[in-house]
Amino acid sequence: MVDDLILGMAGSGGDGVVSAGESLLSAASSEGYHALMTKSFGSQIRGGESSCRVRLSTNKVLNPGGALDVAVALNWDDFFRFGAELPLSVATVFIYEEKAGPPPATLKERGVMPREMRAVPIGELAKKSAGTDKAKTSVVLGLLSGWFGIPSTAIARGLKKKFGNKGEGLLEANERALATGIEYATAHPLAEQHTLALPTKSGPKLLCDGNDMCAAGALFSGVQFFGGYPITPSTEVMQTLSKEIWKYGGVVLQAEDEIAGVGAALGASFAGKKSMTATSGPGMSLKTEILGLASLAELPLVLLNVQRGGPSTGLPTKPEQGDLFQAVFSAHGDVLRPVLAPTDVSDTFKITVEAFNIAEVYQTPVIILSDQEIAQRKEAIDPIDTSKLEVLERRRPTEAELVDYSRFKLTADSISPISHPGMKGGNYLGAGIEHNEKGEPTASGTMHARMNEKRFNKLDPLKKRTDLFEVSGDPKASIALIAWGSTAGVCREAHALAVARGLKVKLLVPYLLYPIAEEIYQSFFASVRSGLVVELAHQGQLYRILRMFTDVPRGLKSLARSGANPFQPSEIVSRLAEMSPEVN
Amino acid sequence: MNAPAFQAKDFKSDLKPIWCPGCGDFGVLQGLYRALAAIGRPPHEIAFISGIGCSSRIPGYTTAYGFNSVHGRSLPIAQGVKLANPDLLVVVAGGDGDGFSIGGGHVAHAIRRNTDLTYLVMDNQVYGLTKGQLSPTAPRGLQTVTSPLGSLEEPINPLLYVLAYGAGFVAQATPADMPGMTALIEEAIRYPGFSFVNIQSPCVTFGEDDQQLKAHKAKMKTLASLGHDSANQLKAMDLARAYGTELYTGVFYRNPNPPPTYDALIRLRQAEQSKKAVPRNRILDAYLQK
Repeated sequence: MVDDLILGMAGSGGDGVVSAGESLLSAASSEGYHALMTKSFGSQIRGGESSCRVRLSTNKVLNPGGALDVAVALNWDDFFRFGAELPLSVATVFIYEEKAGPPPATLKERGVMPREMRAVPIGELAKKSAGTDKAKTSVVLGLLSGWFGIPSTAIARGLKKKFGNKGEGLLEANERALATGIEYATAHPLAEQHTLALPTKSGPKLLCDGNDMCAAGALFSGVQFFGGYPITPSTEVMQTLSKEIWKYGGVVLQAEDEIAGVGAALGASFAGKKSMTATSGPGMSLKTEILGLASLAELPLVLLNVQRGGPSTGLPTKPEQGDLFQAVFSAHGDVLRPVLAPTDVSDTFKITVEAFNIAEVYQTPVIILSDQEIAQRKEAIDPIDTSKLEVLERRRPTEAELVDYSRFKLTADSISPISHPGMKGGNYLGAGIEHNEKGEPTASGTMHARMNEKRFNKLDPLKKRTDLFEVSGDPKASIALIAWGSTAGVCREAHALAVARGLKVKLLVPYLLYPIAEEIYQSFFASVRSGLVVELAHQGQLYRILRMFTDVPRGLKSLARSGANPFQPSEIVSRLAEMSPEVN
Repeated sequence: MNAPAFQAKDFKSDLKPIWCPGCGDFGVLQGLYRALAAIGRPPHEIAFISGIGCSSRIPGYTTAYGFNSVHGRSLPIAQGVKLANPDLLVVVAGGDGDGFSIGGGHVAHAIRRNTDLTYLVMDNQVYGLTKGQLSPTAPRGLQTVTSPLGSLEEPINPLLYVLAYGAGFVAQATPADMPGMTALIEEAIRYPGFSFVNIQSPCVTFGEDDQQLKAHKAKMKTLASLGHDSANQLKAMDLARAYGTELYTGVFYRNPNPPPTYDALIRLRQAEQSKKAVPRNRILDAYLQK
């Protein structure tokens, strides 16, 4: 019995491997397994090769995992096209279409030989049972059920959902293909049994991806306006809100370009409404000028940047953590805007709510840095307890404050009550030009310095927010592991493995990336002699920002790698072991 | 008859304009005060949005809520304001560079959405704030500091531009005819949908002699005097072709059957969808696996 199973499948466009992955995910989650799926496509808009990875577990799934336990190839070329995303090991069970012929030399060249290679006449079984080889993936699902113990009742339920209303006989044909797959597996047992344990705690799960959770978090926060422009891999947020936001009195504007999208969103915020935009790298570059306006005009605004490989068009469908410098520094003039990063599908909800709260309370643009993996991986997660989540609003002026109102009044906490058009007595000039307390344009250096101080000081309380940092492990440990965004999931697993190996490692995961909470880092660093900041970007951008703002221990190194080359927990553990005085 | 609720002075702020003495924008500002007084909405229900340029300073000189934003982006911001709160009266203003050069891409989309706002362009064929460079409406051959040997480009024709995209209300005015201009601004604001007034507003410092108020007075011709029927879109386009040679003032085109505005359609959609709303704590139920 195993409690964790990682499957990877690849085929050509018509094979439906992604759809099979979805069936598997849905089946497993309805049984109470934790499950996660990532998919990958060739660059064709329709058709072409596709692949998916599904990780099933009786425990919380932290990341898509490393090498495959089970690999399925419907043809060899397509499988090897996804080499890096479908890594094999000596423990892999490899199932392939018999008709595709024996494994090509490419397999040997990859250096690892799977422990078991099983040629199965998948297409032939499909034709025999369902009358068409289009039912191939149902045969595969049957094989997976028979060999690895994934409950067939749940898979059958998934098929019913998918084919139930798709015309005469289609459901029955796929059910027969599924049964055939199971029979085949039973008649030809694996050399070594590899059965997934039953889920320990069965309960309802949410099936969603990070972009779903961002949209849901925005609705939960009371978003009233979304302005944006389609861009991979963030578009699903706009698509979801386009269906939902109207119900709550809001508006989605698909703008003519990225600039107009964020401009309209800022206009809506000026008009007093909670507002957001979403984009990815290239769009973020275009939106930068308006973000500066939001900072100077002190208007709340939430911007989601789902990072993809860059620069320029880069790798639009792959994750990278290369937009941190941009989020933090892309501005002319002195600007401080909060940057938050979710680390998985589930916490994208909470981080989105937090982003709206910070934007509203501190009257500032807030950037959420998600990435393609979190945003688009489908995951079966535990229900989110929303009862303790607060939803905060901007501070509006009282009647007394509206008498001789000053929009940018210098206050003790540097936050000035904010009015909006329609509010009598609150009339003011919002502007990108520097202003005095009344909002009147000024070219005074003294006033500019005062207003800069105000705009920076108001965000100071964020640096005390220990709840926006996850710290775990022995507080006196001398080795540090630091990661943010989707890489945090890999590092959580690596941390557990390292601790199990007896390494003195502690983990820090910041959800608040900027402003840098110097004291929180300094106190974490106190016991640290060595360690790694793990980032999926060539430059290791958080590491460099930490060196800029904190006293980084000399032995703390950057483990940085370009996007679309995911880290494996095992390699991180090996690196940590090399740093460990206990091992040396 | 009751006394009017507001007078022009109620819309005048304490800020002193930075414009050069004799700038056409002073006249536009006066006309705007009068038009707003005639409309009768209180200043706090008006959002006045602009970009960057001499004329884009105008919101600050009114008592309305103003937003003097960034160069070329007044229209997207204004649409966000109006869609977020359709009860507001939204006026947008800027120069020819702001509207038809850096922000030119937004004009077509504001028109096709038909959000109910009024766009006033103070057209002076020159970049004044940056001291006299070539603007998108400057005539071919014009010598400026960035075209010292003469411009090699055809100008944009703002009137034809907005007519071609189907704007429901298109007019041209000059502060050389204050009553005419004031009436046109008022009519534009009252038009239910996107309305556009191209105001020939002379730049006294960098503008050409034949673009000054005195020249306007001599040259301007009302469209009414030509017997133009403002319901005739094709004729309007024909007359608009004379931009740059003739100075026609008045309404080029007014859609006699204004289609529903974007903001009105949004309200309908919100009303129709509102019954499907779920309480906040049930929003995640949509993702629950049964």
